[in-house]
Amino acid sequence: MNWFLPGLLACALAHAVLLGPLSVWGIRPDLFLLLVLLLGQRVSPEAATLLGFLIGLCQDGLSGGPLGLRAFTDSLMGFLAARLSQHLYTDKPLALFWLLLAGSVAAGSITLGLLTFFLGPPPFLAALLRVIVPEALYTAAVGLLIRWLPQIRVALTRLT
Amino acid sequence: MSMLMRLLVRYRRAVILTSALLLSFLLMTMQVRQETAVVTITRQAILLLVTPFIKVAAATIHGVTGVWRDYVDLRSVREENKRLQLEVGTLKRRLDQLEEQALETQRLQRLLGMRQESQAQFLTARVVGKDATNWFKTILLDRGSLDGVRRNQPVLAPDGLVGRVAEVTPTSARVQLLTDPMNAVGGLIQRTRVTGIVSGNLGAGARVRYLPLLADVVVGDEVITSGMGGVFPKGIPIGRISAVERRSGALFQEATLAPAVDLSRLEEVLILTSPPPDAEARAGATQPAGVGFESQTGRRP
Repeated sequence: MNWFLPGLLACALAHAVLLGPLSVWGIRPDLFLLLVLLLGQRVSPEAATLLGFLIGLCQDGLSGGPLGLRAFTDSLMGFLAARLSQHLYTDKPLALFWLLLAGSVAAGSITLGLLTFFLGPPPFLAALLRVIVPEALYTAAVGLLIRWLPQIRVALTRLT
Repeated sequence: MSMLMRLLVRYRRAVILTSALLLSFLLMTMQVRQETAVVTITRQAILLLVTPFIKVAAATIHGVTGVWRDYVDLRSVREENKRLQLEVGTLKRRLDQLEEQALETQRLQRLLGMRQESQAQFLTARVVGKDATNWFKTILLDRGSLDGVRRNQPVLAPDGLVGRVAEVTPTSARVQLLTDPMNAVGGLIQRTRVTGIVSGNLGAGARVRYLPLLADVVVGDEVITSGMGGVFPKGIPIGRISAVERRSGALFQEATLAPAVDLSRLEEVLILTSPPPDAEARAGATQPAGVGFESQTGRRP
C-alpha cells in the first residue's frame, strides 16, 4: 500500500517522459497494469479492486481515451491478481512471464471489447498485432525484469 | 438496516468489484454522446495534478542526461593529460551546446518562417509528455488556457498537420494526433481534388477512408486538409499516400497515409490560435468551430 502513490507517480512520469525513446514500433510497456498486478499480489481483493480503479482512472486522465476505460480493466485485473495470488504462488521466471503475459493479453482484450462496445469496432487484426500482443510481450518482459531485479543484482555482484 | 449492513459486509468483495465496474461503465456511457461536467472536471483535475511533475521531470531528464554524459566522459580521462582532456571536454560541451542551440535556432527559424508566410496567429509550445496508453495517440503541451489555447485549435509543425487540441487546463493542453484512432480530419487529394476522411489506424499510421471507388488515387499523392468543418483551415499538408486498397464489393476505396510530420519526434509545435482570414471566411462562416464535419465524424465523445 505504501508503494501506491509513489508507484502511480513514477508510472505517470515514465509513460509521459521516459518511455518514449524505449518504445519499440511505438509500443511501450504498460507500467500502470504492472503496478496493478504487482500491488494486487500484496493486498486483499477488495483493496486491489479499489487500487486498480484509481490507477486506471489516473491512466485514463493522462490518455486520450474515454474516462473509465482503463479504470474498468484495471479494477478487474487488480481483483483477479489478488484472488489468484491467494491460490497460486510461483517463483519460476518462465511461469511468472507467462502469467504476466496472460494478464496483459486479458487486459488488452477487455480494453478492445469496451472500445468496440462504446466507439464501434476498431480494426481487430491491427489492434491484436500492433497493440495487444506487442504490449503484452513488452509488459511481461519488463515485469519479469522488475521482479527479478534484486536477484540479477546479487548475481552480477557475485560475478564481479 | 443492520441486515443490509451484514449482507454488505458479507458480500463486500462482490459489492466493491461490481461498484467499481459499474462506475467505470457509467463514466464511459456518459461520454458516448457528449462530455459532461463530471468527466471534464475529473480529467482536468488529474492533468492539473500530474502535469507539473511531468514538466519538471522532462526538464530534469534533459539536464541529468547532459551531466551523466559529462561524468562518463571524465571518468575515462587519463591522469597525465587530464588538463588537456578537460579542455577538450569543455570545448566539446560548448560545441554540443552550440550545436543544440543551432538546431533549436534552425527549428525555431523554420517555425518563424512558417509563421511569417502565413497571416494566421500561432503560439509556439513544447511537447512535454505522451499518452499513457498504447491505444491512443496524444501528446501533452506546456501551454494552456492561460496562454490562449482553446479546445479544437489546430496544431501544426513546419512540415504539416499534427492534430488538434482535445483538452485544455490552465497550464497545459492535450493534443489528439492525426494518427489517433478517434481522430477524423477532412482530407483532400491535392492532385485530383478528391475528398476523404483521414483517421488513425491503431499503431499503423493513418488511413484515408471514404474515397469514392472510381476516384483517381495513386501512391505518392499528397493529401492536404479540405477545410470542411471549420476546425482545420484548408491547405495544410497532412501526408502522402503510401498504399491504395480497393476491396471487391466495397462502396469506397481506402488508402494508407504516411504523415508529413514525424509524430514520434516532435519537440516543438505551433498552435493555430486564429486561422488566416480567408480560411476563416471559407470554413467558419457557415458553421461554428467544433460542430462541423470533423466533429460529427470523429468518434471522440
